Amino acid sequence: MSASRLGPVRAVLDQIGAGTPTLAEIARNTGLDESLVRAAVDHLIRTGRIDSNRLPIGCPPGGCGGCAVASDCGVPSSRPTLVTLSLSR
Amino acid sequence: MAPISAEELTKLALASTLKPCCQAATDSVGAPEDPLVALVGPPNTGKSTLFNALTGAKVTMGNWPGTTVEVSRGVWKSSSVSATCADGECDCAHCEQPLEISVVDLPGTYSLDPNSPDEALTRELLLDKPLAERPDLSVVTCDASRLTGCLYLVAQLREQGLPMVVALTMVDVARNRGIEVDATSLAKQIGCPVVLVDPRRRNGLAALAATVRTALGRPAPAARRVPVDADDLDLEDDRFSWISEAVEAANGASMRPGPTRSDKVDRWVTAPFFGPVIFLAVMWLVFQLTTAVAAPLQDLLGGLVSGPITAGATAGLGLIGLGGSWVEGLIVNGLIAGVGMLLTFVPLMALMFVLLAVLEDSGYLARAAVVTDRLMRSIGLPGRAFLPLIVGYGCNVPAISATRILPNAKQRILTALLVPFTSCTARLTVFVMMGSVFFGPYAGTAVFAMYVISILIIIVVGLGLRATFWRDEPIEPLVIDLPAYHLPTLRLTASVAWVRLKGFLRTASGIIVVAVCGVWLLQAIPAQPGGSFGAVPVADSVYAAGARAVAPVFAPAGFGSWESTSTLAVGFVAKEAVISSWAQTYAVEQPADGAAPGSLGASVWTSFNQSSGGHPIAAALAFMVFLMAYTPCVATLAAQWREIGPRWTLFGVGMQLTLAWTLAVAIFQIGRLLL
Repeated sequence: MSASRLGPVRAVLDQIGAGTPTLAEIARNTGLDESLVRAAVDHLIRTGRIDSNRLPIGCPPGGCGGCAVASDCGVPSSRPTLVTLSLSR
Repeated sequence: MAPISAEELTKLALASTLKPCCQAATDSVGAPEDPLVALVGPPNTGKSTLFNALTGAKVTMGNWPGTTVEVSRGVWKSSSVSATCADGECDCAHCEQPLEISVVDLPGTYSLDPNSPDEALTRELLLDKPLAERPDLSVVTCDASRLTGCLYLVAQLREQGLPMVVALTMVDVARNRGIEVDATSLAKQIGCPVVLVDPRRRNGLAALAATVRTALGRPAPAARRVPVDADDLDLEDDRFSWISEAVEAANGASMRPGPTRSDKVDRWVTAPFFGPVIFLAVMWLVFQLTTAVAAPLQDLLGGLVSGPITAGATAGLGLIGLGGSWVEGLIVNGLIAGVGMLLTFVPLMALMFVLLAVLEDSGYLARAAVVTDRLMRSIGLPGRAFLPLIVGYGCNVPAISATRILPNAKQRILTALLVPFTSCTARLTVFVMMGSVFFGPYAGTAVFAMYVISILIIIVVGLGLRATFWRDEPIEPLVIDLPAYHLPTLRLTASVAWVRLKGFLRTASGIIVVAVCGVWLLQAIPAQPGGSFGAVPVADSVYAAGARAVAPVFAPAGFGSWESTSTLAVGFVAKEAVISSWAQTYAVEQPADGAAPGSLGASVWTSFNQSSGGHPIAAALAFMVFLMAYTPCVATLAAQWREIGPRWTLFGVGMQLTLAWTLAVAIFQIGRLLL
């Protein structure tokens, strides 16, 4: 994949559609600077072309009644969390 | 990195602006008498700080007429400005004259394509109003540390040919990150003046005043050309290409920061081949460390419970006349043996939780999620399913609830059916105990092998289910934005580990007390007429009789004894109670080989040796795999019932039992030929 054939936004969309799992890999695959990839992704989120979800690694937001670690549900803000991006339907 | 000084900033600022005065004198169109300047820019770029620095206390706030959008207005009193030109210090009338500039601080906006009333107002004021009602000039604030993200608005404004000046903020932050911005090159590339400012320290404001005053007296720059007949995506591509060139010019290839340490590490830990290898190695290390370090402590606690504590309780009960009664059976063989056995796992669980908290806090688990996600998608499973599955390795119950993040019902059902195959922490206690008894120094590797088998089962079952029930289900692409690595903090790690350990102990001890009482009751009831309650040998109790009826089913798997079968029945209720029920059984029943009561490992070994015809290791492996693959607990079933309904829940139970039994039989039958 080369950014010279596709514009930056199309190249990023193309990579997301192809299942490239991280922004760093998108930057490597497209030859775009990572800051440009991040800016393009932010733009695509704002324009509704991709969805962004902040997901806790540890616990879901509910349904933990029978879980041994239920009291630890939720994600403290200081800990790393995942942000997943997917193409809007 | 040295902080940028005020003198340096001013020098840079002046150098980066267009020659402010002398040229203005030559191509001036005449500055308006009461100019209106709009402060615009993306949120968090220092726009309001700049507004406050320019206007001081003379600020009015209120909604823009006809809208609910709040804007601030103020007066920027620009006295004589100090300007430089080709001939040096400029002292012309234009520079000497004070000027009052009305400033309006518009809401933060990323682009002129509005997504909110705030952005709509900015667009209306800058583009949609009649020319006479628009601001005379826009000052666009841009964060130098994230220039790329800020220039989209500049690109759009430049397409309109509006008079503007870019105020570059947070230069010190950028410099601390190794980003140097060449404002002169940036100004040349984007076609409008760029001024470096630090409104917090009031640096660069004079240069900004000079530049704004000069720009007010000039014609608006020519609009940037855009492709004709372009659709939205073409236009966006064009803008980002323009931004890329501008940033390249401003930062320069030599000044662009190289890959960070996180980037370098990520290239390995998220790589398609090395990523899974590193992930497995890390998890192996966790289990090896856990079992090797915690095993001596566990033995010590085990000895304490089965020795002095049991002896003390027996003696105490004897002193008050309850020796040999059913009360002694319940307290000593039930509660002390069962709950005591749980307590021996405290060091192990504590260490495990600490190590996992370190991995989580450092950001590594997020990388593990990428590896898992890649694996899931490579075999055609929904990528997002990795999240509930990761949660499942802690506890299956919240993992079932976590399937709600999946976008459609079919994916939720598929993932909820796979979650029970993730090996939760309750199963870990049994694996560790079995590993210590049957595999000695290789206990950690044996436990690790269970996790690998768990992953393999998920893959195989997932593929099987997809090939049958969800053949045409599309796989949704998913990108993960990884957080940066950081050094785990002692406080957070200890806090997370403690909360989890406390939660595990609280829930597990509750389950165990109930299970111990239930098991004790069943062991106290005689199966045959003539026995008396509480005085019957456990082998003659309804507990043993029930297990004995089912035990032949497990004979081909090498663990067809009633002792092993009964504990699987208890494990169906909750895996936390497996070891306590074993402890009760062997504490009540004196082992045949004469081992002391409480020597649980020896008793279990003997039982497996007998039931397997002399192949205890093969039988132990088969038992561990069965334990890992069959129904986790009733709480998980209840969660499945709630999330995917009774039909799929019962299907799942049948599938788990069938698969667990088939695997256990296969492992034992093959294993007994080798072990």
